[in-house]
Amino acid sequence: MNGWDRVRPSRSRLGGSRATSMSSFGSERHSSSQTIHLGRVQPQAPGHRTIYCNDREANLPVKFKGNSISTTKYNIFTFLPKGLFEQFRRVANLYFLMISILSATPISPVHPITNVVPLSLVLFVSLVKEAFEDWKRLLNDRVINSSPIDVLQEQKWESIPWKKLQVGDIVRVKQDGFFPADLLFLASTNPDGICYTETANLDGETNLKIRKALERTWDYLIPDKASEFKGEIQCEQPNNSLYTFTGNLIVKKQTLPLSPNQILLRGCSLRNTEYIVGAVIFTGHETKVMMNAMNVPSKRSTLERKLDKLILALFGGLFFMCLIGAIGSGVFINRKYYYLGLSESVEDQFNPSNRFVVAILTMFTLITLYSTIIPISLYVSIEMIKFIQSTQFINKDLHMYHTETNTPALARTSNLNEELGQVEYIFSDKTGTLTRNLMEFFKCSIGGEVYGTGITEIERGAAQRSGRKFEEVQKSANAVHEKGFNFDDARLMRGAWRNECNPDTCKEFFRCLAICHTVLPEGDESPEKITYQAASPDEAALVTAAKNFGFFFYRRTPTTIKVRESHVEKMGKIQDVSYEILSVLEFNSTRKRQSVICRHPDGRLVLYCKGADSVIFERLADDNSQVKILTREHLEQFGSSGLRTLCLAYRDLSNDLYERWNEKFIQAKSSLRDREKKLDEVAELIEKELILIGCTAIEDKLQDGVPACIETLSRAGIKIWVLTGDKMETAINIAYACSLINNDMKQFVISSETDAIREMESRGDPVETARFIRETVKQELRKCLEEAQQHLHTVSKQKLALIIDGKCLMYALDPALRGNLLNLSLNCSAVVCCRVSPLQKAQVTSLVKKGAKKITLSIGDGANDVSMIQAAHVGIGISGLEGMQAVMASDFAIAQFRFLTDLLLVHGRWSYLRICKVVTYFFYKNLTFTLTQFWFTFQTGFSGQRFYDDWFQSLYNVIFTALPVIIVGLFDKDVSASLSKKYPELYKEGIRNTFFKWRVVGVWAFFSLYQSLIFYYFVTISSRGGQNSSGKTFGLWDISTMAFTCVVVTVNLRLLMACNSITRWHHISVAGSILAWFVFIFLYSGVMTPYDRQENIFFVIYVLMSTFYFYLTLLLVPVVALLGDFLYQGLQRWLWPYDYQIIQEMHRDDPDDSSRTELLEIGNQLTPDEERSYAISQLPKEKSKHTGFAFDSPGYESFFASQQGVFAPQKAWDVARRASMRSQPRTEKTY
Amino acid sequence: MFCFFFLSSLFSYFESQTRGRKSQRRTSHLLNFRTKFILGIRFHISALLSSSPSPFPVLGGSFFPFLFLLLNCSMNSNNASSSAGGGSADSSPPRRNSKRPKYSRFTQQELPACKPILTPKWVISAFLLVSIIFIPIGVASLLASRDVVEIVDRYETECIPADSRGDKVKFIQGTASKTCKRTLTVPKHMKQPIYVYYQLDNFYQNHRRYVKSRSDEQLHDPKSANDTSSCKPEDTSSESPIVPCGLIAWSLFNDTYSFSRNNQQLTVNKKGISWKSDREGKFGSDVYPKNFQNGTLRGGASLNESIPLSEQEDLIVWMRTAALPTFRKLYGKIEVDLQVNDVIQVTLENNYNTYSFGGKKKLVLSTTSWLGGKNDFLGIAYLTVGGLCFFLAIAFTVTYLVKPRRLGDPSYLSWNRTPAGH
Repeated sequence: MNGWDRVRPSRSRLGGSRATSMSSFGSERHSSSQTIHLGRVQPQAPGHRTIYCNDREANLPVKFKGNSISTTKYNIFTFLPKGLFEQFRRVANLYFLMISILSATPISPVHPITNVVPLSLVLFVSLVKEAFEDWKRLLNDRVINSSPIDVLQEQKWESIPWKKLQVGDIVRVKQDGFFPADLLFLASTNPDGICYTETANLDGETNLKIRKALERTWDYLIPDKASEFKGEIQCEQPNNSLYTFTGNLIVKKQTLPLSPNQILLRGCSLRNTEYIVGAVIFTGHETKVMMNAMNVPSKRSTLERKLDKLILALFGGLFFMCLIGAIGSGVFINRKYYYLGLSESVEDQFNPSNRFVVAILTMFTLITLYSTIIPISLYVSIEMIKFIQSTQFINKDLHMYHTETNTPALARTSNLNEELGQVEYIFSDKTGTLTRNLMEFFKCSIGGEVYGTGITEIERGAAQRSGRKFEEVQKSANAVHEKGFNFDDARLMRGAWRNECNPDTCKEFFRCLAICHTVLPEGDESPEKITYQAASPDEAALVTAAKNFGFFFYRRTPTTIKVRESHVEKMGKIQDVSYEILSVLEFNSTRKRQSVICRHPDGRLVLYCKGADSVIFERLADDNSQVKILTREHLEQFGSSGLRTLCLAYRDLSNDLYERWNEKFIQAKSSLRDREKKLDEVAELIEKELILIGCTAIEDKLQDGVPACIETLSRAGIKIWVLTGDKMETAINIAYACSLINNDMKQFVISSETDAIREMESRGDPVETARFIRETVKQELRKCLEEAQQHLHTVSKQKLALIIDGKCLMYALDPALRGNLLNLSLNCSAVVCCRVSPLQKAQVTSLVKKGAKKITLSIGDGANDVSMIQAAHVGIGISGLEGMQAVMASDFAIAQFRFLTDLLLVHGRWSYLRICKVVTYFFYKNLTFTLTQFWFTFQTGFSGQRFYDDWFQSLYNVIFTALPVIIVGLFDKDVSASLSKKYPELYKEGIRNTFFKWRVVGVWAFFSLYQSLIFYYFVTISSRGGQNSSGKTFGLWDISTMAFTCVVVTVNLRLLMACNSITRWHHISVAGSILAWFVFIFLYSGVMTPYDRQENIFFVIYVLMSTFYFYLTLLLVPVVALLGDFLYQGLQRWLWPYDYQIIQEMHRDDPDDSSRTELLEIGNQLTPDEERSYAISQLPKEKSKHTGFAFDSPGYESFFASQQGVFAPQKAWDVARRASMRSQPRTEKTY
Repeated sequence: MFCFFFLSSLFSYFESQTRGRKSQRRTSHLLNFRTKFILGIRFHISALLSSSPSPFPVLGGSFFPFLFLLLNCSMNSNNASSSAGGGSADSSPPRRNSKRPKYSRFTQQELPACKPILTPKWVISAFLLVSIIFIPIGVASLLASRDVVEIVDRYETECIPADSRGDKVKFIQGTASKTCKRTLTVPKHMKQPIYVYYQLDNFYQNHRRYVKSRSDEQLHDPKSANDTSSCKPEDTSSESPIVPCGLIAWSLFNDTYSFSRNNQQLTVNKKGISWKSDREGKFGSDVYPKNFQNGTLRGGASLNESIPLSEQEDLIVWMRTAALPTFRKLYGKIEVDLQVNDVIQVTLENNYNTYSFGGKKKLVLSTTSWLGGKNDFLGIAYLTVGGLCFFLAIAFTVTYLVKPRRLGDPSYLSWNRTPAGH
């Protein structure tokens, strides 16, 4: 197929799309500013609040909110109105409510029961669910609100419940306790006024955070002292930013600046500290965690949206049928039918003198009569099916259980099960998703010399591709391999570095590793047992490396770092050295570097710096050019091997210089406005004239089974895009390693790292540069597009790949160029975007989602993927070792990338098939039922007389045909799980939406038309004349009962015919449903029902069953009705078989899915292997959280956004979080 | 609806039980307050951050799955605690029990199933089977229907004197004698009992206004005589209720037939022409007609006020309203055989007004078979379907021989058929 066709937005598979490609691009032009909204901060209330600590009276006038919280949606009084309101916001429910009201009026042909029973059943079910959930929330709130906390009252600690807490109170929180509100940290039992907090509940990061109280408040620890504390806090108004806080503490007329470092947030817990004392700043719903409560916009699956169109079509059909009936009734009504009693005083509906009114009223009559055409139980059934699918099948799939991390798959929403079966584009993060995020110190370059002998998997893979063979280097016997360290070079280990040509550089290198970091040591202070808590695994790997080189960092105090140094003075000598830490210049994504200023024991003042090569090289002193050139070479070499690099540098400082700088630094630190920006500016002043030591190379290992998974997925017709913050070389290499790109592909590279651009940048005019890059990107895109076009027309089968970096992407995403970018990228089978920011990840995802109208899936593990995960149709988070942010934002969480195969090809595909089947079947059964009614209308003078008894009609959907379709929705399998994975191409049926096209619906509609005609006419015609040998005749209710019996039997059997696999549950449910009908009719017609049961069907079934007519018709009608479908199915299978049918035939003799038999025997026990790896996973270990921004996420978005005059946050986490708050429906609409 | 939720909740239970493995039940965690509290906090906070920590809150829909889940949880006790954490359990103190899902055929979707494949063989044999069963039934039904001897006499025009035919309605509403004589010839031997039907046409007994114009309460319970609210406009006559009320009863058919052969009266037995359940269940034996046909406009027949409704079989038959505008109702039985070429004299009172709406009236004499009266439809339908199936079976066989398709031929797979574009 010609690839260029795809660029056009696919005519949405159900119903032609209205937008042409041009107009859809046009509409994006308008929406471009919308995308920028991602970065918008919540407006903050003006002013500040003043809190008087330990003084309830003084705080009284301000009326701060209490500390009790409520997360419930309803209370006793609002439950019914609000709950019902929520329910009736669903159109289907509202429709049935209106029908029910209509049916209580005299124009209704049916008793209100007909509509009220199903509606109230559905409502009841939904309300009970709501109540149940809210009850759980209420209990939760109660537990939390009434948990005790120690508050200072009259110089004693009094225990009061959380809800009684007020702003300004002084509280004591004990070890492992939770902070009841946002507190100002005053004092701690730890020396130096520090405490450790765990923030796992807030951001999922499992490492401990240090908080440090102001020195002035350290003493207020015991009640006697604390009661003396009378401070005044001036701080910002409550807001939702977790990582910022500005305020001042005024104690004894002294103003002390407060930073986030002194704030303990509600929801965190205290660790490794006996107790702390704090003052309450924000309470209850004003705490930061509560302000962060956000409603994740719930996603609806594409199929469900198409279902809405089907429902609309049904409405259209309903209207059409009613119109015909109404016109008929107007024409029919006539006084000549004297037996109808149409005298002058007859009511309007039958008054022949006003035929128009008759028609209008009959219209309403018929709407009530035909209301069954809209399947009321459809939504409930689908929800139920999906719920069971996600909780029972996806969550419990043993194939998606990862033993090492003890993580099963988790479906966090059940709305999107079938969406998994239609995914066409996967956007994947690299770090932690494709790769293990297991950072191992692998190589390094010190002073222009490369150390480390290992060969990366990527190099090995590249070698295999090019046919070369690597000689496996024998690991030396003393090679150390522990977590975070996989380095082998005898020249450096065990003090051997002393014999290298530049031992001093080596020493600085190791010291830099051991000192310049923010790692926390935990556990026993011995090299074997210590574990490092680090913000990124890279850092932990570097510190571990230092340890192995003989510079063992073992203790950190707020002012010192203690390192046990071996072999420094001479071989074999071990000494503990304490370095005084003077200042820490922290890492962030704009700085891309981190510095520590420390004083050696000998008084030497040194700044150690590590960071990205680009920023370090800019700040080097010019003298060591030889090392510079060599190191750059090594950096590129490492990069191409897929290693992650960092440059290390140092600078000797004079006391004088430092003192002068420190003043500015302290000033910046205590500034209330733009503190971060000022800090960055100050840091610039000292981080210059650095001396390059060398660089480190860390290996980022691929996850298990990634290449195989990617290959399977691409065979399934899914296109995989890698969006990464990494450098282009690394990204390309990873793409090679996971067989996303290979040498047979034509690669288009659009990079900003060209000489022309560099030259332009060096001139320093940002506006000019921007214009230049934009032009370049434009030309490049056009060129690539032409080339790609040529390729597709002339050279056959060569696949295309596009590699683009973040800077170029920024310009390519410009509305004017977007179309080209989309055109080009959709024709490529692999796309790699490197150096992209979280915001751009989301933009690229939306580009494909909105621009190409394809179903997209994003998968990632870190905070920087959150926006992308939420932008895509389906978001998947990698759970397990890493933090929770991605998981929290995702729709599904899996432990490993390779589980995507199971999730998409097995669960997704099955869900899609099942839901399609359920939906089309619902459509069919209700249409068939209603059409029989419709045909009857023609023979009743269009009076709207009902054909069926009220109870038949009301129970048809909820009892007689309800269960089997749910069983099918749960159990239907076309081919087994192993075959689904063996033939990934089957997945394409879902991408093409083969099973829910208008054509498919049309076929069902045709057969339901056919069947309804059979039901009605066969049953009525064959009932003419006397019956049985007694010659008695039937009445209306005999015939309608007969017809209903045929409908129930046929509709249930039809379902069986649609099944690909039939379990005993199918038999039970189908037989059960038919049986339920008979049981019902036996009982129902066996009794005389009192009240308003005119012309009831008393004894009808017994009368019927006493005749041969009943049995002959019951055999004839279903067979004839099903004959058409049977013939169609037989022909279709024979002449135009679906792929899955061929696969079924190929494997028809295979034994029942045997792939899982091994699991069957194990039952719930772990295998020995699993047990071992599980045991290992349970050992105490470094729990780390890679937040993504550590080393791989440049903040290009800031420039892009600032051009538009919008503030863009610097931190990836902020971007992600704010992106996730984008719940306003208007953004949805404007697209 | 309820039963299937219950059923579904039993799936995993049943499936695991049938595997004969006892699920290890751990005693439920005795959570002390602290643990509860921590779980509570975790739930609470993750709820805030994501609004959906566990699948519950986002799952719209029904409550029943919860029952289902609860049942399951009682078996997988280790899941109970983790569901609250929603995946945040990483940081909790290490637990010995793993989160490995339990194996069950239900959750792993490996329930034993038969996988029917509609191969040509199956299609052909299904068609053959249908034709083998249907053709004999068709033949039998058709024979039964053909055995029935039926005499139909349409009389609505003939029974109006030639000079009145210009305005039939006026005639039928007039007071002139409406007696009419018809002569029928028996074409074939008719075995007793011979059923006498009247057949009306264009008579909408199934019209909504007509169908509901009756009071079943009143019909079988003398105490409910006043229960006439649904009977309008034929509910009361000068303030007192009409029994039986309503349009249906009011329009009771009132043509009468009497038969004679060779001047010898043929008795028409009018007992047992209605369904027994109607007589005994719906129409009370102590309910007597009252005020019936008292009004200004007379609709149809009047009733003998001394006979209880349960014995007014004409009324009972009439009130079992017909499904279609053309219908036949039983009038009575002639319980003697009629010979070939017997000439039957019918004396009928042509009282009923079908002329207003142009309806036909027919008198039908018919014998019955085991299947009933003359109705070829079932027989023909069976034969047609059987024949069609046979034809289809042949056609499929021929196609199969002419253009065979090997089962499971990989070359039919779409990705093998078209050159693999990207």
